[in-house]
Amino acid sequence: MDHFRAMRLRHVKYILYLLAIYTLGFGWTPYKTAFLSLILGTSIGLLIIWNLSWKIEKFGQAVTARKKVRTLGTLTRFSLAALAAVIAWAYPRYFAPVPTIVGLMTSYLVIVIDFLFHKWKHDKPHESEVNDDGA
Amino acid sequence: MSLGVLAAAIAVGLGALGAGIGNGLIVSRTIEGIARQPELRPVLQTTMFIGVALVEALPIIGVVFSFIYLGR
Repeated sequence: MDHFRAMRLRHVKYILYLLAIYTLGFGWTPYKTAFLSLILGTSIGLLIIWNLSWKIEKFGQAVTARKKVRTLGTLTRFSLAALAAVIAWAYPRYFAPVPTIVGLMTSYLVIVIDFLFHKWKHDKPHESEVNDDGA
Repeated sequence: MSLGVLAAAIAVGLGALGAGIGNGLIVSRTIEGIARQPELRPVLQTTMFIGVALVEALPIIGVVFSFIYLGR
């Protein structure tokens, strides 16, 4: 499995873990509205990054094969975000706007934290390299 | 038409303009990179993915805020 697909699966895995935690929060705590909004936002955030990674995969294949790519799907992702906002606005009894936005941004936080963690992990010098220098 | 609708339209429009410029820069550099070294495609795709995600985060917040503001 290449670098990009492994990263995509890691992101999906972390977001599914978060969704499981939010579901537990929805079921076992009195903060039903907040957790339901977080679930809505995070689910749509997952759809957004899945769409983005799928489009970039197609884009890379098309560039290698010297074919044309029509769009990167930006409008689809904006529409998905608008859909989350409209759902939160249409059903104020079940959803709150702020946790929905936090949920939407969770996927981006996951991407940044995963990137920084892997950069730190791969930039760290190996023990054998340190010993070779005589340190 | 109220000024709120105009404000929401400007927020979404300027956000989309920024995202368009940013995405264009990222995509052009990625195409150059893949064309020069096709074996680096997964690494370049990863960098492009993170770049496009970060560029699009702010316009998405703009879209959501606009819709929530319009719904108030």
